[in-house]
Amino acid sequence: MLTRILAFELKFWLRGWMVWIFLFVIAAMLFGAATSDNVRVGGALENTNRNAPFVILNYYSMICIITLLMTTAFINGAATRDSHHRTHEIIFSTPLRKWDYLVGRFSGATLVSLLPPAGVTTGMLAGFAAPWLDASRWGPVYWGAHVAGFLLFAVPNTIFSGAVMFAVASLTRSTVASFLGALLLLVAYEVSGAFTNKLETESIAAMLDPFGIQAFTLMTKYWTVAEKNTLAAEASALLLWNRLLWTSAGLAVFLLTGWRFRTQERSGRRKKFFIETIKAPSKAVALPEVKRSFTSAARWSQFRGLLKTEVRGVIRTTSFLVLLAAALLNTIPSLIFNASEGYGVSTFPVTYQVLSILRGNLYVFLVVIVTYFAGVLVWRERDARCDEIHDALPVPAWLYYAAKLCALAAVIAAIQMVAIASGIGVQLYKDYSRIQLDLYAKELLLADYAAFFYLAVLAFFIHCVSPNKYLGYFGYVSFLLLNFFLWIPLDVETRMVKFASLPNYTLSDFYGYAPFLGGLLWFGLYWGGVSVLLALATVVFWPRGQGQGVRHALHEARLRFRGRLAAGAAFVSVAWLPIAGWVFYNTKVENRLITRDQGEQLQADYEKQYKKYEGLLQPRVAAVKYGIALYPERRAFTIRGEEVLENRGSAPIPQLHFSLQRLYDYEIDLPGARLIHNDTRLLYRIYELASPLPPGARMNLRYKVGYEARGFENDVSLIQVVQNGTFFNVRVVPQLGYQPDSELTDRGDRRKLGLPWRPPMPYLLGRCIAACGNSYLSNHSDLVSVDTVVSTSADQIAIAPGSLLREWNQDGRRYFHYKLDRDSLNFYSFISADYAVARQNWNGVKLEVYYHPEHKWNVDKMLNGMARTLDYCTRNFSPYHHRQARILEFPRHSTFAQAYPGTMPYSEAIGFIANLEDPEDIDHVFYITAHEVAHQWWAYQVIGARMEGATLLSETMAQYTALMVMERQYGRDMMRKFLAYEMDKYLSSRGQEKFNEQPLQKVHSEQGYVHYRKGSVVMYYLKEMIGEEAVNRALARFLARFAHKGPPYPTSNHLLDELRAETPRHLPYLIRDLFEEITLFANRAIEAKARKLASGKYEVTLDLESKKLKADPNGNEREVALNDWIEIGAFAKPAEGKKYGRTLYRQRILMNQNRSRHTFLVDREPDQAGIDPFALLIDRVPKDNLKKVELVQ
Amino acid sequence: MELTITELSKSYPNGVQALDHVSLRIGRGMYGLLGPNGAGKSTLMRILATLLEPDSGQARLGDTDMLREKDSVRRLLGYLPQDFGVYPKVSAQEMLDHLALLKGITRTTERKQVVEALLERVNLQDQRKKALAGFSGGMRQRFGIAQALIGDPKLIIVDEPTAGLDPGERNRFYNLLSEIGENVIVILSTHIVEDVKELCPNMAILHQGRLRYAGPTADGIASIQGRIWQRSIDKGLVNDYEQRHRVISSKLIAGRPLIHVYSDTDPGDGFTAVEPDLEDLFFSTIHGVREC
Repeated sequence: MLTRILAFELKFWLRGWMVWIFLFVIAAMLFGAATSDNVRVGGALENTNRNAPFVILNYYSMICIITLLMTTAFINGAATRDSHHRTHEIIFSTPLRKWDYLVGRFSGATLVSLLPPAGVTTGMLAGFAAPWLDASRWGPVYWGAHVAGFLLFAVPNTIFSGAVMFAVASLTRSTVASFLGALLLLVAYEVSGAFTNKLETESIAAMLDPFGIQAFTLMTKYWTVAEKNTLAAEASALLLWNRLLWTSAGLAVFLLTGWRFRTQERSGRRKKFFIETIKAPSKAVALPEVKRSFTSAARWSQFRGLLKTEVRGVIRTTSFLVLLAAALLNTIPSLIFNASEGYGVSTFPVTYQVLSILRGNLYVFLVVIVTYFAGVLVWRERDARCDEIHDALPVPAWLYYAAKLCALAAVIAAIQMVAIASGIGVQLYKDYSRIQLDLYAKELLLADYAAFFYLAVLAFFIHCVSPNKYLGYFGYVSFLLLNFFLWIPLDVETRMVKFASLPNYTLSDFYGYAPFLGGLLWFGLYWGGVSVLLALATVVFWPRGQGQGVRHALHEARLRFRGRLAAGAAFVSVAWLPIAGWVFYNTKVENRLITRDQGEQLQADYEKQYKKYEGLLQPRVAAVKYGIALYPERRAFTIRGEEVLENRGSAPIPQLHFSLQRLYDYEIDLPGARLIHNDTRLLYRIYELASPLPPGARMNLRYKVGYEARGFENDVSLIQVVQNGTFFNVRVVPQLGYQPDSELTDRGDRRKLGLPWRPPMPYLLGRCIAACGNSYLSNHSDLVSVDTVVSTSADQIAIAPGSLLREWNQDGRRYFHYKLDRDSLNFYSFISADYAVARQNWNGVKLEVYYHPEHKWNVDKMLNGMARTLDYCTRNFSPYHHRQARILEFPRHSTFAQAYPGTMPYSEAIGFIANLEDPEDIDHVFYITAHEVAHQWWAYQVIGARMEGATLLSETMAQYTALMVMERQYGRDMMRKFLAYEMDKYLSSRGQEKFNEQPLQKVHSEQGYVHYRKGSVVMYYLKEMIGEEAVNRALARFLARFAHKGPPYPTSNHLLDELRAETPRHLPYLIRDLFEEITLFANRAIEAKARKLASGKYEVTLDLESKKLKADPNGNEREVALNDWIEIGAFAKPAEGKKYGRTLYRQRILMNQNRSRHTFLVDREPDQAGIDPFALLIDRVPKDNLKKVELVQ
Repeated sequence: MELTITELSKSYPNGVQALDHVSLRIGRGMYGLLGPNGAGKSTLMRILATLLEPDSGQARLGDTDMLREKDSVRRLLGYLPQDFGVYPKVSAQEMLDHLALLKGITRTTERKQVVEALLERVNLQDQRKKALAGFSGGMRQRFGIAQALIGDPKLIIVDEPTAGLDPGERNRFYNLLSEIGENVIVILSTHIVEDVKELCPNMAILHQGRLRYAGPTADGIASIQGRIWQRSIDKGLVNDYEQRHRVISSKLIAGRPLIHVYSDTDPGDGFTAVEPDLEDLFFSTIHGVREC
């Protein structure tokens, strides 16, 4: 019997179309994802093969989210088919055993549900047939990964979610309830995701997630490129336990369902039918005389009546309730748990951030709601088959249309209001009181609302001209997809063709919307006009009566398109055309639009044409004077510069070469020189000097750089110049010579444009002299003196490098005169905003924080951080050479913090809004401040030559300094916590490497995970091994040798020489392992036992395992012989509420065996003991270093 | 007011000629439009209800061009489609009220009165709060006529209103129609002869898109007076008779076929003359044996 039910179930589904459509959809998605960059499922691919086993496993894990709803469809069908089709009375009246029935149905539907996920394999294999395949990114087929993915994810997830849905569906017999159940499972996944923000709770997340995605992410977090490409059938214990847990949970749920299941009819669930009792024949009641009215007042009340009906028709549907519930369930947990700053620190729920979370989580559902209900509304009468009644009513088509469109608009508005309420609720719940209602309104009820409204108008139009509902859906979704994806490959970027597209913008507390306002309003109007025209067209073509194709529609349209409608259409067109013209003029004539492809072509041409001049002898900048006028309200500036140039070469210089930048107007004034080459496309100029500049001689260069925002653009191209919060760096002035920084770096782009392979950075050459002529920040200047007079509007403060000499007002503008206290690198920024300023004095140095008045939370921490870092650096390295140190807040269009001589701009989004109220949290702001202040030494006193390893001298050293300052402030335990994050970030970034993982000695400037993250770990370990004094001695010596000197600039080898000189003889491997090679350890405590001695002490016995590994640039590892000094230790039980216990024992031991046993005495009862107890060595599983100590007699 | 149809033609993309140069004049009172399934009745009704566009021809209601001034027609129209559904979860009263509003009765109190009166009229007052979706066929049809009556229409079109109704319901429906059909134009399309026989003083017969008869029902029957003959025969002989006579209908009476034939003179062969009725007119017309 069981087999017959099972066979029936299978046959039932396999004969239908649904399972095959689902399979096709999944396969098509995967095909797209595997072969194109435009479709993405899960994370980016980087260096990993497109069909790497890791990728396959990842797809299998992610696809469960999508197949969940498909599973629901099958399971719900199987569970409720009989009660829906009212066949349950027939079925349950047969002598059928309950368990046969349930097991047959459930296993049949589950087996069928396993087909769509197999689309991953189908789609990936089909990828090989794609004609546009980039074969270099495809490896061999790893069947093991396909099987593992199916068994690890598809099977357990289908069983678990299937069982839950089967329970819900068969106990409630309601389709809605089962879909809600499915959505709740998604919420479980979302919520478990919240635990991944903190390292401590990652494993909780991994176990809690019923789909195993978090466990998989945790398992593969540290996989290198090589491992991603080759490890096929790996499963960590955690993943296996997760799978076991949730599969058994599923089976348990199923058993429970069966136990509770009753085959008898449940009363009260049937549809109600009426039995009519005729009392009397109908009476010839006279119908009352009524007044009928077709005036506009009547139309208005009809509109309201229709609107009410239509709104009800949407919100009373179960699909709406399900979608709304899902949207809220998806949004609210994210609002509560999200907003992370990194290092486990969260931010204050500032309104713009709440808005972006709302968008990210809610809008998917809103798009679905608009898409789905536009169809429902347009086809409502026809679906209910009462269209003939309605179509013959004396109600004009536009009234129906207006009511339906407004109904959808009202529903969207209501959802947006709910979103606003939840956003504000979460802000209040988190004790955050600066609620920007106006921002909520502008964003959710104006800008985004307009976009949804345009989409709704479009959807209505498409449905209105579509011959059936499903074709309408298909047409609309295809249009959206094309609108989204088509323009990129066509290299069309103008928003005038991309439907309902508005310029990108980033809100900031500094300028609000100001720089974007023009573009947003005009494009809003432009698409508003298009929407009105579309709406009029919809009225004209609104289906009425029994449509008989195009001819009928056109005939009807002719009848309707007259009178006021025609006049309206004419009026809107006439009004819209000038808007369109104005938008075109502003975005295409007044401002040039350079597409991505065009931009890349320009970069490529620049390199092809002018690379030959790289290394051509040019004079160096020796001194600069600026006269800068900023006009924030106009988004304009003028820079007048006067540079002293000096020929520091050995040959005369006959020509000056300049690389210029787009967007700015340049005037270059070289008395007597002749402009012999002026490339206005690639912006390269060559001047022939009246007489060549002899070696050692100096000359003057004057120039003027102007910028003024003109009208509005397709997208604001210079967001650095704004109404409040202008922030740009000195690279806008004419740059002497060819600039290799402008070259294309992406390998694929270079290949496509016929450029040769280019190393990401020049190779490290020994301890070079000749090749070290340029620092990695500039190829035309060394140390320069800078003198700036900068003026801005009366309400703003302008800042330039150096000490403020004078400040005055003139003609309603504010003037500032700054001068560098000591020559510095020619790299700094100019800033102007309406600031609040916090000041403090540190040994005669002015410490200042310039911040937005609303962002005062962490300002004191910043001042303190600056003082502590200055303390540390001046005591250990060398004096500070400026009379001021400033932190400047700039708008959040960029999210970084950077150091310039004496000034450190931080983005509005970094540090200023971090919530540091919990003392156990890492003080992220203090850390950033220490790092940036340290750059005053590590970059601005000494800077590396432009070659591999240069950032070791700046970023890694700044990181080391920050660690030392933090350790002083917060203690050793906080460092353990901090380093755990650093280690985690280093290890998890290796797998996303685009080129090769470099050792620190040869790190590339864009390999942040190496020079920051690994740098932290390595330097801290070095400091532990050779002592802080030794490291600082080496660094101070290095500074003394190279600080404030021009070329030749030092390389990483020079620094390593100094460090090596401080390294004791018994650690010959140290510098090589840490800096010159990629070294990892696999350390593990196998057993830890302790025995209480008569003396009251404890004797601890440890069994340890240690392996030392070397990795190649792709992450292939090989074990090497161990002969290292490694620490062992023991800890007491942590005090209540603390993470770490007191250190009872730590001792460094020379290990030359993989396995070893150690015995030592401690004074108190040990809690944990093991190898490398502070996790200072790079180890992919730091957790197993320590083991709980077992007390034995 | 009079409804004038001139040379109306309509063919569908699949080649079916639904209406073929149909001309008709319809005055006040009940007008029956009789025809077998697929005769083009619904096509004609939909054209008159402004829901369908003819290929050619004219239709005027008084001075109104029905094909162009659709809104004017709709203000005068009450229409009960052949088959219609309802919104889920909406009661009869709510729906009637909504439709009354759309028909231009904008005052709430007036609307309420009208809806009350209509519910009473169609005998649905006890079910007024119940969801339409749960109505039986007859109840739904009565709801349909109620909505068609809203707003005092001058032209009422009911398309196959009795299909699927049981005899009791059908009778009630006839009563309703005949009450209202005195002062306005009521066009009733049906393939059921009884409907026309009981209700319509004037009628037309439509077959394969062509008008086969139009005029007073009584005149039509009179025109075949003395030409209809009947006889009861053995089952196996139907074919035989069909070859020898112009058989217009055959029905089983107590298990034996009773056939009617059309003949200007006595066909002999055991046939006896019968008093023709509407059914004979209908069958002789659609079988093309009666000269039009």
